Amino acid sequence: MNNRLLIIEDNEQNLYLMRFLLEKSGFAIIGADNGKTGIATALQCRPLAILLDIQLPEMDGYAVAAELKRHSELDAVPIIAVTSYAMVGDRENILAAGATGYIEKPINPDTFVAEIIAYLPEGWKDDGD
Amino acid sequence: MFLIDSGGMVRPAFAESDEHGVIAVGVYENEPKVFTTKDGKPAGIFIDILEHIAEQEGWRLRYVPGSWAEGLARLARGEIDLMPDVAFTAERAKIFAFHKEPVLSSWSQVYAKKGSGIRSILDLDGKKVAILKGSVQEETFVRLSESFNLQTEILAARDYAGAFAMVTIGDADAAISNSFFGFVHAKKYRLEDTAVVFNPSKLLFATPAGGSEEMLRTIDRYLVTLKRDRGSIYYTSLKRWMSEDVRFKIPIWLKMVGGALLAFLVLNLVGSLILKYQVNLRTDELRRINQEMEQRIVERTAQLAEINKEQTSIFETASTGIVLMRHRTAVHCNRKFEEIFGYGPGEMDGKPTRLWYPDDEADAIGGDPVYAQMGRGEIHRRTQQLIRQDGTLFWARISCRAFDKDAPLQGAVAIIEDITEEREAEERLRQALEKAQAADQIKSAFLATMSHELRTPLNSIIGFTGIMLQGLTGPLNPEQQKQMTMVQSSSRHLLALINDVLDISKIEAGQLTLSPGPFDLRVSLQKSLKLVAPLAEKKGVGLAADLPDHPLPIIADQRRIEQVVINVLNNAIKFTEAGQVRLSCRDGGDTFVLSFADTGIGIREEDIERLFQPFHQVDTGLARKREGTGLGLSICKKILDMMGGSIDVESRWGEGSIFIVRLPRQTGDSA
Repeated sequence: MNNRLLIIEDNEQNLYLMRFLLEKSGFAIIGADNGKTGIATALQCRPLAILLDIQLPEMDGYAVAAELKRHSELDAVPIIAVTSYAMVGDRENILAAGATGYIEKPINPDTFVAEIIAYLPEGWKDDGD
Repeated sequence: MFLIDSGGMVRPAFAESDEHGVIAVGVYENEPKVFTTKDGKPAGIFIDILEHIAEQEGWRLRYVPGSWAEGLARLARGEIDLMPDVAFTAERAKIFAFHKEPVLSSWSQVYAKKGSGIRSILDLDGKKVAILKGSVQEETFVRLSESFNLQTEILAARDYAGAFAMVTIGDADAAISNSFFGFVHAKKYRLEDTAVVFNPSKLLFATPAGGSEEMLRTIDRYLVTLKRDRGSIYYTSLKRWMSEDVRFKIPIWLKMVGGALLAFLVLNLVGSLILKYQVNLRTDELRRINQEMEQRIVERTAQLAEINKEQTSIFETASTGIVLMRHRTAVHCNRKFEEIFGYGPGEMDGKPTRLWYPDDEADAIGGDPVYAQMGRGEIHRRTQQLIRQDGTLFWARISCRAFDKDAPLQGAVAIIEDITEEREAEERLRQALEKAQAADQIKSAFLATMSHELRTPLNSIIGFTGIMLQGLTGPLNPEQQKQMTMVQSSSRHLLALINDVLDISKIEAGQLTLSPGPFDLRVSLQKSLKLVAPLAEKKGVGLAADLPDHPLPIIADQRRIEQVVINVLNNAIKFTEAGQVRLSCRDGGDTFVLSFADTGIGIREEDIERLFQPFHQVDTGLARKREGTGLGLSICKKILDMMGGSIDVESRWGEGSIFIVRLPRQTGDSA
């Protein structure tokens, strides 16, 4: 069973927080602290889903999402933006850039895992690895 | 004998009139050339000569008296055969026939009082000159004085005698008459002839055009002969009529006339007295008319002076520059105009308007297109940079208009204002606005960035607190549980503050946008109630709902509507210490009407107005016990305004409040 999730997040504490919650629920977490590494990792390890922060150094979340979309082998991999909706038009831009969905920051630890699972493709538990 | 004129009409010639035996001769009053004596007998130089010829040739004469004009008219119509004393002119030669040898030569001459000092026509500048109205002299003199550019006042006289009389009594400085009249009468009026002579002419007999050539030839033949002989009737007549001395030197003539002459002289004297009396009457009348006219001139001049004074004072006190132009040259301008351009008084008069412009290109802007517009009768307006005398440029507001739209170059007025200060003020205002707008953008960007930067650590705080409270890191003892709950509450409040500040900054920057979509309002209301339930429970405030039992479909921005509902509910719970908060929803046709009724502290009337303004909380002050930024209601109001909805409040201090929210069923993003 593929239980790998890729989290692209530059803030160490937030990455740790999401990793902690998702590992508790039995997912295998791969972290990347910038867009470039994240894209390379995604192509290499084929995660179940990609959690993507928008405010990233150098290459921002929009550019990362657009780049990921250019690789057809990742078509079935949902991209879940984790964002603070800080800037005007963020939501529209995120979806336009290719994200499947978004989760608002700060995350609610009570519901976060359930929200992620809702975005995963149906029958993900059955997929062989 | 018949003569056929160009019109083909047959006209009786001299020979035929001769058959009837009579030549009709016009007579009028122009002593000494032709006139009638007191006893009604024609006399004068022309008559003497004509009668001499008639006697020799066997002509019979019939005199037709009348005025000069009547005589000429009769001659033109062929009603008389001969008119004496007609000056030859090219015009007259077209309608009359003349013989060749002049009877007399005449000219116009200026007469004045002795010692007047008038020696040439130039001496008449500024003088009053009496002239026979409608005469050749008048026409010629007016033309002459214009060509010499003289300011001469012409006084119209009814006859030559009247003209002389006006000089005598001092109403005129000089009079003009023909040389013959002057020669005979000047002395009587105590005038003398001056050296100013013009308009020489030959005086002849005239017949109608196509009249008897034979008669004219006969007159010529006699004149040549008579003039050759010093003792002929020609000279005796001249002497007789033009010199009194001569008259008394001829004793034979005196004897012949004898006592008859004496009677004639007496009659003449009486006649003269009557004439003089009549002249005096006419002179008085003339003087009176003259005085009236002078009076009128004085009055009109005063009126004009008054108008002129008013216009001049408007012209000179105007706070704008005014210039009158002709052919793109400044004819006259006011002082302000000169000041704007930095010139001294009168320095711009007569100068081309090119002087106002820094270069030819700028000059062209004020040229053809402007005159074309003025030519359509419009007022032209523009702003343009002009140049001062010292070479500095300034911005001017210019408006101009032609006096006559059909000839704008002939005369136009322009009004010029120096708007340099106005332009500078505008520029400063524009810069200040730009700065303010830039500052506003910086503020919004700053708030957005700060909000994000604050949320990142808050994400950890809220997240890890939740993890610990869930017991995911192991069980907490009751005190740890209590304190971690406090951390969670504080961090959630902090998050709410950050969200509000971000929202208000977006709203104020006009950057808040709505994302409308279809959803069930009832579900949203239930969800919101569930969210605020823990707070109500904690405060011991009842939470009641009065919702329809069917779905409430609406198209709106769900997230923002929930934000509003949660905000108003939270507010109601916060300000209620005991009792309950009731949310009800009513279908109001195009709108859903939500009411939030509480049994809280209520709102003072004076506070209601400020309730929806940012950063306002009713019980402000150090003792503030309610949490919140004071932004919530103002954000709610802004969001509802954008949706085309509304929020209102009814309240009494101490008795609770009812907030009414109206939501259109279909909201657009009106931002």
